[in-house]
Amino acid sequence: MANAVIRAGAPQEAPRRAFIHSDRFQMTAFIAPTCIFLALLTIWPFIYSVYLSLHAVKLTAMKRAVFVGANNYINLLTDPLFLRAMLNTGMLAVTSITCEIVIAFVIAKAFVSLSHLKWVNGLRSLFMLPMMVTPLIVGMIFSYVFNPVLGIANYLLGGVGLGPVPWFGDSTVAMVSILLINIWQWTPFMMLLIMAGLLSIRSDLYEAARVDGAKWHHVLTLLEIPSIKGIVLLGIILRIIDTLRFFDVVYVTTRGGPGDSTMVLTLYAYQQNFQFFQAGVGSAAAVIILIISMVITTFAVRLLRRIENE
Amino acid sequence: MNSARFRLRDLGPMVLVLTFVFVSIAPLLWLALAAFKPTADIIAIPPVWIPDFTYLQNFRDVLTQFWPFIVNSLIATVGATILALILAVPTAFALVNHRFHGREALADWILSTRMMPPIAAAVPLFVIFRGAGLLDSLPGLIIAYAGFNLPFAVWMTMSFIRRVPKELIEAARLEGCTWWQVLKDVVLPFSKSGLAAVATFVFIFAWNEFMLALFLTTREAKTFPVVISSFVGTGRVYWEYIAAASVIQCLPPVLFTFFMQKHIVSGVTMGAVKD
Repeated sequence: MANAVIRAGAPQEAPRRAFIHSDRFQMTAFIAPTCIFLALLTIWPFIYSVYLSLHAVKLTAMKRAVFVGANNYINLLTDPLFLRAMLNTGMLAVTSITCEIVIAFVIAKAFVSLSHLKWVNGLRSLFMLPMMVTPLIVGMIFSYVFNPVLGIANYLLGGVGLGPVPWFGDSTVAMVSILLINIWQWTPFMMLLIMAGLLSIRSDLYEAARVDGAKWHHVLTLLEIPSIKGIVLLGIILRIIDTLRFFDVVYVTTRGGPGDSTMVLTLYAYQQNFQFFQAGVGSAAAVIILIISMVITTFAVRLLRRIENE
Repeated sequence: MNSARFRLRDLGPMVLVLTFVFVSIAPLLWLALAAFKPTADIIAIPPVWIPDFTYLQNFRDVLTQFWPFIVNSLIATVGATILALILAVPTAFALVNHRFHGREALADWILSTRMMPPIAAAVPLFVIFRGAGLLDSLPGLIIAYAGFNLPFAVWMTMSFIRRVPKELIEAARLEGCTWWQVLKDVVLPFSKSGLAAVATFVFIFAWNEFMLALFLTTREAKTFPVVISSFVGTGRVYWEYIAAASVIQCLPPVLFTFFMQKHIVSGVTMGAVKD
Protein backbone atom coordinates (compact mmCIF):
# COMPACT_ATOMS: atom_id res chain seq x y z
CA MET A 1 0.00 0.00 0.00
CA ALA A 2 2.80 2.35 0.87
CA ASN A 3 4.30 1.68 -2.53
CA ALA A 4 1.13 2.73 -4.30
CA VAL A 5 1.26 6.11 -2.60
CA ILE A 6 4.83 6.73 -3.69
CA ARG A 7 4.20 5.52 -7.25
CA ALA A 8 1.38 7.95 -7.70
CA GLY A 9 3.94 10.76 -7.81
CA ALA A 10 5.97 9.30 -10.64
CA PRO A 11 3.76 9.80 -13.73
CA GLN A 12 3.55 13.53 -13.15
CA GLU A 13 7.27 13.86 -13.60
CA ALA A 14 7.37 11.64 -16.67
CA PRO A 15 6.34 14.22 -19.31
CA ARG A 16 9.10 16.54 -18.16
CA ARG A 17 11.77 14.07 -19.12
CA ALA A 18 13.22 14.70 -22.55
CA PHE A 19 13.11 12.01 -25.20
CA ILE A 20 16.69 10.96 -24.51
CA HIS A 21 15.66 10.19 -20.95
CA SER A 22 12.84 7.93 -22.07
CA ASP A 23 13.15 4.26 -21.13
CA ARG A 24 12.80 3.07 -24.66
CA PHE A 25 15.55 5.30 -25.99
CA GLN A 26 17.99 4.46 -23.21
CA MET A 27 17.43 0.74 -23.46
CA THR A 28 17.82 0.80 -27.22
CA ALA A 29 21.05 2.72 -26.80
CA PHE A 30 22.22 0.06 -24.37
CA ILE A 31 21.44 -2.86 -26.64
CA ALA A 32 21.82 -1.63 -30.20
CA PRO A 33 25.63 -1.27 -30.46
CA THR A 34 26.18 -4.84 -29.30
CA CYS A 35 23.59 -6.19 -31.72
CA ILE A 36 24.96 -4.25 -34.67
CA PHE A 37 28.49 -5.38 -33.86
CA LEU A 38 27.47 -9.01 -33.53
CA ALA A 39 25.40 -8.92 -36.70
CA LEU A 40 28.39 -7.55 -38.61
CA LEU A 41 30.49 -10.33 -37.15
CA THR A 42 28.07 -13.20 -37.71
CA ILE A 43 25.14 -12.56 -40.05
CA TRP A 44 27.03 -10.63 -42.66
CA PRO A 45 29.96 -13.09 -42.82
CA PHE A 46 27.47 -15.93 -43.13
CA ILE A 47 25.75 -14.36 -46.14
CA TYR A 48 29.08 -13.46 -47.69
CA SER A 49 30.46 -16.98 -47.09
CA VAL A 50 27.45 -18.53 -48.78
CA TYR A 51 27.96 -16.17 -51.72
CA LEU A 52 31.67 -17.04 -51.98
CA SER A 53 31.01 -20.76 -51.61
CA LEU A 54 28.99 -20.67 -54.84
CA HIS A 55 31.88 -19.10 -56.76
CA ALA A 56 35.31 -20.08 -57.98
CA VAL A 57 37.35 -17.34 -56.36
CA LYS A 58 40.87 -16.70 -55.17
CA LEU A 59 41.51 -14.78 -51.96
CA THR A 60 44.18 -12.86 -53.84
CA ALA A 61 41.82 -11.83 -56.66
CA MET A 62 38.36 -11.44 -55.16
CA LYS A 63 37.05 -9.33 -58.07
CA ARG A 64 37.34 -12.22 -60.50
CA ALA A 65 34.71 -14.48 -59.00
CA VAL A 66 33.01 -16.93 -61.35
CA PHE A 67 29.67 -18.46 -60.43
CA VAL A 68 29.97 -22.24 -60.26
CA GLY A 69 26.79 -23.26 -58.44
CA ALA A 70 27.16 -26.13 -56.02
CA ASN A 71 30.47 -27.24 -57.52
CA ASN A 72 32.53 -26.32 -54.47
CA TYR A 73 30.23 -28.36 -52.24
CA ILE A 74 30.34 -31.33 -54.60
CA ASN A 75 34.13 -31.13 -54.74
CA LEU A 76 34.32 -30.90 -50.96
CA LEU A 77 32.08 -33.85 -50.32
CA THR A 78 34.11 -35.96 -52.74
CA ASP A 79 37.48 -34.74 -51.42
CA PRO A 80 38.97 -37.55 -49.28
CA LEU A 81 40.90 -34.97 -47.25
CA PHE A 82 37.73 -33.11 -46.28
CA LEU A 83 35.90 -36.34 -45.46
CA ARG A 84 38.89 -37.33 -43.38
CA ALA A 85 38.70 -33.99 -41.57
CA MET A 86 35.00 -34.55 -40.84
CA LEU A 87 35.64 -38.09 -39.63
CA ASN A 88 38.59 -37.05 -37.44
CA THR A 89 36.69 -34.16 -35.90
CA GLY A 90 33.71 -36.38 -35.14
CA MET A 91 35.92 -39.13 -33.76
CA LEU A 92 37.84 -36.66 -31.64
CA ALA A 93 34.61 -35.25 -30.23
CA VAL A 94 33.14 -38.64 -29.34
CA THR A 95 36.19 -40.42 -27.91
CA SER A 96 37.79 -37.44 -26.22
CA ILE A 97 34.61 -36.23 -24.54
CA THR A 98 33.68 -39.75 -23.38
CA CYS A 99 37.11 -40.32 -21.81
CA GLU A 100 37.04 -36.84 -20.27
CA ILE A 101 33.70 -37.48 -18.56
CA VAL A 102 34.71 -40.85 -17.11
CA ILE A 103 38.08 -39.67 -15.79
CA ALA A 104 36.63 -36.36 -14.63
CA PHE A 105 33.91 -38.11 -12.64
CA VAL A 106 36.44 -40.23 -10.74
CA ILE A 107 38.64 -37.23 -9.94
CA ALA A 108 35.65 -35.09 -9.01
CA LYS A 109 34.53 -37.73 -6.52
CA ALA A 110 38.03 -37.78 -5.04
CA PHE A 111 38.11 -33.99 -4.76
CA VAL A 112 34.64 -33.88 -3.22
CA SER A 113 35.56 -36.47 -0.60
CA LEU A 114 38.60 -34.36 0.30
CA SER A 115 36.75 -31.06 0.31
CA HIS A 116 36.92 -30.77 4.12
CA LEU A 117 40.68 -30.17 3.75
CA LYS A 118 41.19 -26.49 2.94
CA TRP A 119 44.55 -26.85 1.23
CA VAL A 120 43.10 -29.28 -1.33
CA ASN A 121 41.74 -26.18 -3.13
CA GLY A 122 45.31 -25.35 -4.06
CA LEU A 123 45.71 -28.81 -5.60
CA ARG A 124 42.53 -28.25 -7.58
CA SER A 125 43.97 -25.05 -9.06
CA LEU A 126 47.09 -26.94 -10.08
CA PHE A 127 44.96 -29.65 -11.67
CA MET A 128 43.04 -27.01 -13.65
CA LEU A 129 46.11 -25.38 -15.20
CA PRO A 130 46.03 -27.31 -18.52
CA MET A 131 42.67 -25.81 -19.51
CA MET A 132 43.80 -22.27 -18.77
CA VAL A 133 47.18 -22.13 -20.49
CA THR A 134 47.36 -20.89 -24.08
CA PRO A 135 46.31 -23.75 -26.41
CA LEU A 136 49.18 -22.95 -28.75
CA ILE A 137 51.59 -23.52 -25.87
CA VAL A 138 49.91 -26.86 -25.16
CA GLY A 139 50.92 -27.81 -28.70
CA MET A 140 54.47 -26.61 -28.04
CA ILE A 141 54.70 -28.55 -24.77
CA PHE A 142 53.78 -31.80 -26.44
CA SER A 143 56.00 -31.18 -29.47
CA TYR A 144 58.77 -31.09 -26.89
CA VAL A 145 57.63 -33.96 -24.64
CA PHE A 146 56.71 -36.28 -27.54
CA ASN A 147 59.72 -35.33 -29.70
CA PRO A 148 61.22 -38.45 -31.31
CA VAL A 149 64.82 -37.38 -30.63
CA LEU A 150 64.88 -35.23 -27.52
CA GLY A 151 61.47 -36.00 -26.02
CA ILE A 152 61.27 -37.10 -22.42
CA ALA A 153 58.25 -39.37 -23.04
CA ASN A 154 60.23 -41.88 -25.08
CA TYR A 155 63.20 -41.58 -22.72
CA LEU A 156 61.04 -42.53 -19.74
CA LEU A 157 59.32 -45.34 -21.65
CA GLY A 158 62.76 -46.59 -22.70
CA GLY A 159 63.74 -46.68 -19.03
CA VAL A 160 61.07 -49.32 -18.38
CA GLY A 161 61.87 -51.19 -21.59
CA LEU A 162 59.09 -49.78 -23.78
CA GLY A 163 58.97 -47.78 -26.97
CA PRO A 164 60.14 -45.79 -28.74
CA VAL A 165 56.61 -44.62 -29.60
CA PRO A 166 56.32 -42.65 -32.90
CA TRP A 167 54.02 -40.09 -31.23
CA PHE A 168 53.48 -37.86 -34.24
CA GLY A 169 55.31 -39.99 -36.82
CA ASP A 170 52.80 -42.75 -37.46
CA SER A 171 49.36 -42.08 -38.90
CA THR A 172 47.44 -44.14 -36.34
CA VAL A 173 49.53 -43.16 -33.34
CA ALA A 174 49.43 -39.46 -34.25
CA MET A 175 45.65 -39.37 -33.93
CA VAL A 176 45.88 -41.13 -30.55
CA SER A 177 48.47 -38.58 -29.44
CA ILE A 178 46.20 -35.71 -30.42
CA LEU A 179 43.41 -37.45 -28.53
CA LEU A 180 45.58 -37.82 -25.42
CA ILE A 181 46.55 -34.15 -25.55
CA ASN A 182 42.88 -33.22 -25.79
CA ILE A 183 41.97 -35.39 -22.83
CA TRP A 184 44.88 -34.00 -20.84
CA GLN A 185 43.84 -30.45 -21.57
CA TRP A 186 40.07 -30.70 -21.10
CA THR A 187 39.46 -33.27 -18.36
CA PRO A 188 39.89 -30.47 -15.78
CA PHE A 189 37.03 -28.59 -17.45
CA MET A 190 34.66 -31.55 -17.12
CA MET A 191 35.95 -32.17 -13.61
CA LEU A 192 35.00 -28.63 -12.59
CA LEU A 193 31.48 -29.01 -13.96
CA ILE A 194 30.92 -32.45 -12.46
CA MET A 195 32.30 -31.29 -9.13
CA ALA A 196 29.92 -28.32 -9.13
CA GLY A 197 27.10 -30.79 -9.80
CA LEU A 198 28.16 -33.20 -7.07
CA LEU A 199 28.57 -30.42 -4.51
CA SER A 200 25.02 -29.29 -5.18
CA ILE A 201 23.65 -32.64 -3.93
CA ARG A 202 22.34 -32.16 -0.40
CA SER A 203 24.27 -34.25 2.10
CA ASP A 204 21.07 -35.51 3.76
CA LEU A 205 20.24 -37.33 0.50
CA TYR A 206 23.51 -39.27 0.81
CA GLU A 207 22.64 -39.84 4.45
CA ALA A 208 19.17 -41.15 3.52
CA ALA A 209 20.70 -43.45 0.90
CA ARG A 210 23.10 -44.83 3.51
CA VAL A 211 20.33 -45.40 6.02
CA ASP A 212 18.29 -47.21 3.37
CA GLY A 213 21.26 -49.47 2.76
CA ALA A 214 21.84 -48.32 -0.85
CA LYS A 215 24.85 -49.84 -2.60
CA TRP A 216 27.39 -47.53 -4.30
CA HIS A 217 25.94 -48.23 -7.73
CA HIS A 218 22.48 -47.27 -6.51
CA VAL A 219 23.86 -43.99 -5.26
CA LEU A 220 25.59 -43.51 -8.60
CA THR A 221 22.64 -44.27 -10.88
CA LEU A 222 19.76 -43.00 -8.76
CA LEU A 223 21.26 -39.96 -7.07
CA GLU A 224 24.52 -38.76 -8.60
CA ILE A 225 23.95 -39.24 -12.32
CA PRO A 226 20.49 -37.59 -12.28
CA SER A 227 21.91 -34.66 -10.31
CA ILE A 228 24.79 -33.94 -12.68
CA LYS A 229 23.02 -34.82 -15.95
CA GLY A 230 22.15 -31.26 -16.95
CA ILE A 231 25.53 -29.80 -16.20
CA VAL A 232 27.37 -32.64 -17.96
CA LEU A 233 25.17 -32.16 -21.03
CA LEU A 234 26.12 -28.50 -20.99
CA GLY A 235 29.79 -29.53 -20.76
CA ILE A 236 29.38 -31.92 -23.69
CA ILE A 237 27.88 -29.21 -25.88
CA LEU A 238 30.57 -26.68 -25.02
CA ARG A 239 33.24 -29.29 -25.75
CA ILE A 240 31.68 -30.19 -29.13
CA ILE A 241 31.74 -26.51 -30.03
CA ASP A 242 35.41 -26.41 -28.93
CA THR A 243 36.24 -29.46 -31.02
CA LEU A 244 34.74 -27.84 -34.11
CA ARG A 245 37.18 -24.95 -33.69
CA PHE A 246 40.08 -27.17 -32.64
CA PHE A 247 43.11 -25.76 -34.45
CA ASP A 248 46.08 -24.51 -32.43
CA VAL A 249 47.40 -27.86 -31.19
CA VAL A 250 47.33 -29.63 -34.58
CA TYR A 251 48.74 -26.53 -36.24
CA VAL A 252 51.98 -26.75 -34.27
CA THR A 253 52.28 -30.50 -33.69
CA THR A 254 51.28 -32.29 -36.89
CA ARG A 255 49.80 -29.79 -39.39
CA GLY A 256 47.24 -32.49 -40.10
CA GLY A 257 49.86 -35.12 -40.88
CA PRO A 258 51.39 -37.56 -41.34
CA GLY A 259 49.51 -37.72 -44.62
CA ASP A 260 45.95 -36.72 -43.80
CA SER A 261 45.77 -38.63 -40.53
CA THR A 262 45.18 -35.75 -38.11
CA MET A 263 43.41 -33.29 -40.41
CA VAL A 264 40.51 -31.54 -38.67
CA LEU A 265 37.77 -29.27 -40.03
CA THR A 266 39.06 -25.87 -38.95
CA LEU A 267 42.59 -26.63 -40.12
CA TYR A 268 41.21 -27.78 -43.49
CA ALA A 269 39.20 -24.58 -43.99
CA TYR A 270 42.13 -22.48 -42.80
CA GLN A 271 44.53 -24.07 -45.27
CA GLN A 272 42.13 -23.78 -48.21
CA ASN A 273 41.53 -20.09 -47.47
CA PHE A 274 44.85 -18.76 -46.31
CA GLN A 275 47.48 -21.14 -47.70
CA PHE A 276 46.00 -22.13 -51.09
CA PHE A 277 43.86 -18.95 -51.28
CA GLN A 278 40.90 -21.04 -52.51
CA ALA A 279 38.27 -18.78 -50.96
CA GLY A 280 35.43 -20.58 -52.75
CA VAL A 281 36.23 -24.07 -51.46
CA GLY A 282 37.33 -22.68 -48.09
CA SER A 283 34.05 -20.80 -47.71
CA ALA A 284 32.05 -23.89 -48.61
CA ALA A 285 33.90 -25.75 -45.84
CA ALA A 286 33.25 -22.84 -43.48
CA VAL A 287 29.52 -22.92 -44.31
CA ILE A 288 29.38 -26.66 -43.58
CA ILE A 289 31.17 -26.15 -40.24
CA LEU A 290 28.76 -23.33 -39.47
CA ILE A 291 25.70 -25.44 -40.22
CA ILE A 292 26.96 -28.24 -37.97
CA SER A 293 27.58 -25.80 -35.16
CA MET A 294 24.19 -24.14 -35.71
CA VAL A 295 22.42 -27.45 -35.20
CA ILE A 296 24.35 -28.05 -31.99
CA THR A 297 23.82 -24.45 -30.90
CA THR A 298 20.06 -24.77 -31.13
CA PHE A 299 20.22 -27.52 -28.52
CA ALA A 300 22.81 -25.62 -26.49
CA VAL A 301 20.77 -22.44 -26.20
CA ARG A 302 17.67 -24.30 -25.05
CA LEU A 303 19.70 -26.22 -22.51
CA LEU A 304 21.45 -23.16 -21.11
CA ARG A 305 18.08 -21.44 -20.73
CA ARG A 306 16.75 -24.43 -18.82
CA ILE A 307 19.71 -24.60 -16.45
CA GLU A 308 19.53 -20.82 -16.04
CA ASN A 309 15.87 -21.04 -15.00
CA GLU A 310 16.37 -23.85 -12.49
CA MET B 1 30.21 -31.65 10.48
CA ASN B 2 33.47 -32.82 8.95
CA SER B 3 36.61 -32.03 10.82
CA ALA B 4 39.26 -30.25 8.79
CA ARG B 5 41.81 -32.96 9.47
CA PHE B 6 43.26 -35.72 7.37
CA ARG B 7 41.54 -39.05 8.08
CA LEU B 8 42.72 -42.51 7.18
CA ARG B 9 39.95 -43.00 4.62
CA ASP B 10 41.16 -39.88 2.80
CA LEU B 11 44.28 -41.76 1.80
CA GLY B 12 42.83 -43.40 -1.34
CA PRO B 13 41.33 -40.21 -2.81
CA MET B 14 44.48 -38.31 -1.86
CA VAL B 15 46.73 -40.70 -3.78
CA LEU B 16 44.40 -40.44 -6.78
CA VAL B 17 44.28 -36.66 -6.64
CA LEU B 18 48.03 -36.31 -6.29
CA THR B 19 48.59 -38.67 -9.25
CA PHE B 20 46.31 -36.68 -11.51
CA VAL B 21 47.69 -33.34 -10.36
CA PHE B 22 51.13 -34.67 -11.24
CA VAL B 23 49.97 -35.76 -14.72
CA SER B 24 48.38 -32.33 -15.19
CA ILE B 25 51.38 -30.22 -14.29
CA ALA B 26 54.36 -32.41 -15.24
CA PRO B 27 54.29 -31.53 -18.98
CA LEU B 28 53.89 -27.83 -18.13
CA LEU B 29 56.74 -27.95 -15.64
CA TRP B 30 58.99 -29.80 -18.06
CA LEU B 31 58.81 -27.03 -20.62
CA ALA B 32 59.09 -24.38 -17.89
CA LEU B 33 62.30 -26.02 -16.60
CA ALA B 34 63.71 -26.00 -20.14
CA ALA B 35 63.42 -22.21 -20.11
CA PHE B 36 66.28 -22.12 -17.57
CA LYS B 37 68.61 -24.39 -19.56
CA PRO B 38 71.17 -23.63 -22.24
CA THR B 39 70.28 -25.15 -25.63
CA ALA B 40 72.63 -28.11 -25.17
CA ASP B 41 70.86 -29.09 -21.93
CA ILE B 42 67.39 -28.68 -23.42
CA ILE B 43 68.05 -31.30 -26.09
CA ALA B 44 70.23 -33.55 -23.91
CA ILE B 45 69.27 -37.22 -23.57
CA PRO B 46 69.52 -38.42 -20.84
CA PRO B 47 67.82 -35.22 -19.71
CA VAL B 48 69.21 -32.62 -17.37
CA TRP B 49 66.55 -32.76 -14.67
CA ILE B 50 67.14 -29.68 -12.57
CA PRO B 51 68.47 -26.59 -14.30
CA ASP B 52 70.54 -23.80 -12.80
CA PHE B 53 67.78 -21.26 -12.13
CA THR B 54 70.21 -18.36 -12.34
CA TYR B 55 70.61 -19.01 -16.08
CA LEU B 56 68.29 -16.38 -17.53
CA GLN B 57 69.84 -15.92 -20.96
CA ASN B 58 66.80 -17.40 -22.77
CA PHE B 59 64.46 -14.91 -21.14
CA ARG B 60 66.87 -12.08 -21.87
CA ASP B 61 67.06 -13.12 -25.54
CA VAL B 62 63.31 -13.44 -25.96
CA LEU B 63 62.55 -10.17 -24.19
CA THR B 64 65.16 -8.12 -26.06
CA GLN B 65 64.30 -9.51 -29.50
CA PHE B 66 60.55 -9.96 -29.27
CA TRP B 67 59.30 -7.43 -26.72
CA PRO B 68 57.37 -5.43 -29.35
CA PHE B 69 55.15 -8.46 -29.96
CA ILE B 70 54.50 -8.91 -26.25
CA VAL B 71 53.45 -5.26 -26.21
CA ASN B 72 51.20 -5.93 -29.24
CA SER B 73 49.56 -8.82 -27.41
CA LEU B 74 49.03 -6.65 -24.34
CA ILE B 75 47.53 -3.74 -26.28
CA ALA B 76 45.23 -5.98 -28.34
CA THR B 77 44.12 -7.89 -25.25
CA VAL B 78 43.55 -4.91 -22.96
CA GLY B 79 41.88 -2.97 -25.76
CA ALA B 80 39.57 -5.86 -26.57
CA THR B 81 38.70 -6.35 -22.91
CA ILE B 82 37.76 -2.69 -22.49
CA LEU B 83 35.77 -2.56 -25.72
CA ALA B 84 33.94 -5.81 -24.96
CA LEU B 85 32.97 -4.60 -21.49
CA ILE B 86 31.85 -1.17 -22.64
CA LEU B 87 29.47 -2.86 -25.06
CA ALA B 88 28.49 -5.84 -22.93
CA VAL B 89 27.64 -4.24 -19.59
CA PRO B 90 24.85 -1.90 -20.78
CA THR B 91 23.46 -4.66 -23.01
CA ALA B 92 23.42 -7.17 -20.18
CA PHE B 93 21.85 -4.59 -17.90
CA ALA B 94 19.07 -3.85 -20.38
CA LEU B 95 18.44 -7.53 -21.09
CA VAL B 96 18.02 -8.21 -17.38
CA ASN B 97 16.02 -5.13 -16.35
CA HIS B 98 14.02 -4.00 -19.33
CA ARG B 99 10.92 -6.03 -20.17
CA PHE B 100 10.28 -5.90 -23.88
CA HIS B 101 8.92 -8.13 -26.56
CA GLY B 102 11.50 -10.58 -27.88
CA ARG B 103 13.86 -10.11 -24.96
CA GLU B 104 14.59 -13.81 -24.50
CA ALA B 105 14.95 -14.35 -28.24
CA LEU B 106 17.49 -11.55 -28.40
CA ALA B 107 19.49 -12.96 -25.50
CA ASP B 108 19.41 -16.39 -27.13
CA TRP B 109 20.63 -14.96 -30.41
CA ILE B 110 23.53 -13.27 -28.64
CA LEU B 111 24.37 -16.57 -26.97
CA SER B 112 24.19 -18.44 -30.26
CA THR B 113 26.78 -16.14 -31.80
CA ARG B 114 29.20 -17.38 -29.12
CA MET B 115 28.89 -20.83 -30.62
CA MET B 116 29.97 -19.72 -34.08
CA PRO B 117 33.39 -21.09 -35.00
CA PRO B 118 35.70 -18.16 -35.84
CA ILE B 119 36.84 -19.94 -39.02
CA ALA B 120 33.31 -19.48 -40.39
CA ALA B 121 33.79 -15.71 -40.30
CA ALA B 122 37.44 -15.78 -41.30
CA VAL B 123 37.33 -14.89 -45.00
CA PRO B 124 34.60 -12.22 -44.76
CA LEU B 125 36.47 -10.68 -41.82
CA PHE B 126 39.71 -10.78 -43.78
CA VAL B 127 38.06 -9.11 -46.77
CA ILE B 128 36.42 -6.31 -44.74
CA PHE B 129 39.63 -5.70 -42.83
CA ARG B 130 41.62 -5.56 -46.06
CA GLY B 131 39.13 -3.06 -47.47
CA ALA B 132 39.14 -0.94 -44.32
CA GLY B 133 42.92 -1.01 -43.93
CA LEU B 134 42.60 -2.88 -40.66
CA LEU B 135 44.73 -5.87 -41.66
CA ASP B 136 47.90 -6.17 -39.62
CA SER B 137 46.79 -3.42 -37.26
CA LEU B 138 46.13 -3.39 -33.54
CA PRO B 139 42.71 -1.67 -33.87
CA GLY B 140 41.73 -4.52 -36.19
CA LEU B 141 42.77 -7.13 -33.65
CA ILE B 142 40.97 -5.26 -30.86
CA ILE B 143 37.75 -5.22 -32.89
CA ALA B 144 38.00 -8.91 -33.78
CA TYR B 145 38.91 -10.08 -30.28
CA ALA B 146 36.23 -7.93 -28.67
CA GLY B 147 33.63 -9.17 -31.13
CA PHE B 148 34.29 -12.84 -30.60
CA ASN B 149 34.27 -12.41 -26.82
CA LEU B 150 31.24 -10.13 -26.71
CA PRO B 151 28.56 -12.88 -26.46
CA PHE B 152 30.42 -14.48 -23.59
CA ALA B 153 30.83 -11.12 -21.84
CA VAL B 154 27.12 -10.29 -22.20
CA TRP B 155 25.98 -13.63 -20.81
CA MET B 156 28.35 -13.78 -17.91
CA THR B 157 27.61 -10.15 -17.02
CA MET B 158 23.88 -10.94 -17.09
CA SER B 159 24.41 -13.65 -14.50
CA PHE B 160 26.05 -11.13 -12.17
CA ILE B 161 23.55 -8.33 -12.79
CA ARG B 162 20.69 -10.70 -11.95
CA ARG B 163 22.07 -10.86 -8.42
CA VAL B 164 21.50 -7.15 -7.83
CA PRO B 165 18.41 -7.02 -5.57
CA LYS B 166 15.36 -5.87 -7.54
CA GLU B 167 14.29 -3.64 -4.60
CA LEU B 168 17.48 -1.62 -4.97
CA ILE B 169 16.82 -0.92 -8.64
CA GLU B 170 13.13 -0.15 -8.04
CA ALA B 171 14.00 2.24 -5.24
CA ALA B 172 16.41 4.12 -7.46
CA ARG B 173 13.81 4.31 -10.22
CA LEU B 174 11.23 5.68 -7.82
CA GLU B 175 13.62 8.41 -6.85
CA GLY B 176 13.60 9.42 -10.50
CA CYS B 177 16.95 7.99 -11.61
CA THR B 178 17.29 7.39 -15.33
CA TRP B 179 18.27 3.87 -16.39
CA TRP B 180 21.73 5.18 -17.11
CA GLN B 181 22.00 6.45 -13.53
CA VAL B 182 20.70 3.16 -12.17
CA LEU B 183 23.38 1.33 -14.13
CA LYS B 184 26.13 3.72 -13.10
CA ASP B 185 25.23 4.31 -9.44
CA VAL B 186 23.48 1.11 -8.35
CA VAL B 187 24.36 -1.84 -10.56
CA LEU B 188 28.03 -1.13 -11.28
CA PRO B 189 29.08 -0.62 -7.64
CA PHE B 190 27.07 -3.68 -6.62
CA SER B 191 28.53 -6.06 -9.20
CA LYS B 192 32.11 -4.77 -9.21
CA SER B 193 33.74 -8.07 -8.32
CA GLY B 194 31.61 -9.98 -10.83
CA LEU B 195 32.54 -7.56 -13.59
CA ALA B 196 36.19 -7.92 -12.63
CA ALA B 197 35.77 -11.66 -13.19
CA VAL B 198 34.18 -11.08 -16.60
CA ALA B 199 37.00 -8.72 -17.56
CA THR B 200 39.65 -11.19 -16.47
CA PHE B 201 38.03 -13.97 -18.47
CA VAL B 202 37.82 -11.88 -21.62
CA PHE B 203 41.44 -10.88 -21.05
CA ILE B 204 42.56 -14.50 -20.83
CA PHE B 205 40.51 -15.62 -23.86
CA ALA B 206 41.90 -12.78 -25.96
CA TRP B 207 45.42 -13.35 -24.64
CA ASN B 208 45.23 -17.05 -25.59
CA GLU B 209 43.84 -16.36 -29.07
CA PHE B 210 45.97 -17.61 -31.93
CA MET B 211 44.13 -18.38 -35.18
CA LEU B 212 42.60 -14.93 -35.68
CA ALA B 213 45.95 -13.26 -35.17
CA LEU B 214 47.55 -15.75 -37.54
CA PHE B 215 45.60 -14.54 -40.57
CA LEU B 216 44.82 -10.97 -39.50
CA THR B 217 48.44 -10.00 -38.88
CA THR B 218 51.58 -10.33 -40.95
CA ARG B 219 54.35 -8.13 -39.52
CA GLU B 220 53.63 -4.99 -37.55
CA ALA B 221 50.76 -6.19 -35.38
CA LYS B 222 51.84 -9.81 -34.90
CA THR B 223 50.90 -11.05 -31.45
CA PHE B 224 53.19 -13.04 -29.19
CA PRO B 225 51.56 -16.45 -29.90
CA VAL B 226 52.04 -15.91 -33.64
CA VAL B 227 55.72 -15.19 -33.05
CA ILE B 228 56.05 -18.25 -30.82
CA SER B 229 54.54 -20.44 -33.54
CA SER B 230 57.22 -19.21 -35.93
CA PHE B 231 59.98 -20.61 -33.67
CA VAL B 232 59.15 -23.99 -35.18
CA GLY B 233 60.60 -23.28 -38.58
CA THR B 234 61.26 -25.59 -41.48
CA GLY B 235 64.90 -25.80 -40.48
CA ARG B 236 65.98 -25.37 -36.89
CA VAL B 237 63.54 -25.43 -33.99
CA TYR B 238 64.41 -22.76 -31.43
CA TRP B 239 63.62 -24.71 -28.27
CA GLU B 240 65.34 -22.21 -25.99
CA TYR B 241 63.10 -19.42 -27.32
CA ILE B 242 60.01 -21.62 -27.29
CA ALA B 243 60.56 -22.55 -23.63
CA ALA B 244 61.22 -19.04 -22.35
CA ALA B 245 58.47 -17.48 -24.49
CA SER B 246 55.98 -20.12 -23.33
CA VAL B 247 56.67 -19.28 -19.71
CA ILE B 248 56.04 -15.59 -20.41
CA GLN B 249 52.92 -16.34 -22.47
CA CYS B 250 51.45 -18.63 -19.79
CA LEU B 251 52.14 -16.32 -16.86
CA PRO B 252 48.82 -14.37 -17.00
CA PRO B 253 46.53 -17.42 -17.33
CA VAL B 254 48.40 -19.32 -14.61
CA LEU B 255 48.28 -16.44 -12.13
CA PHE B 256 44.64 -15.94 -13.00
CA THR B 257 43.81 -19.58 -12.26
CA PHE B 258 45.03 -19.12 -8.70
CA PHE B 259 43.51 -15.72 -8.00
CA MET B 260 40.13 -16.19 -9.66
CA GLN B 261 39.53 -19.76 -8.60
CA LYS B 262 36.07 -19.13 -7.23
CA HIS B 263 34.77 -17.61 -10.46
CA ILE B 264 36.16 -20.21 -12.82
CA VAL B 265 33.15 -22.55 -12.89
CA SER B 266 30.79 -19.72 -13.70
CA GLY B 267 33.30 -18.37 -16.23
CA VAL B 268 33.69 -21.55 -18.25
CA THR B 269 29.92 -22.02 -18.43
CA MET B 270 29.17 -18.42 -19.37
CA GLY B 271 27.48 -17.81 -16.05
CA ALA B 272 25.06 -20.74 -16.42
CA VAL B 273 26.46 -22.38 -13.29
CA LYS B 274 26.74 -20.21 -10.20
CA ASP B 275 29.95 -20.13 -8.24
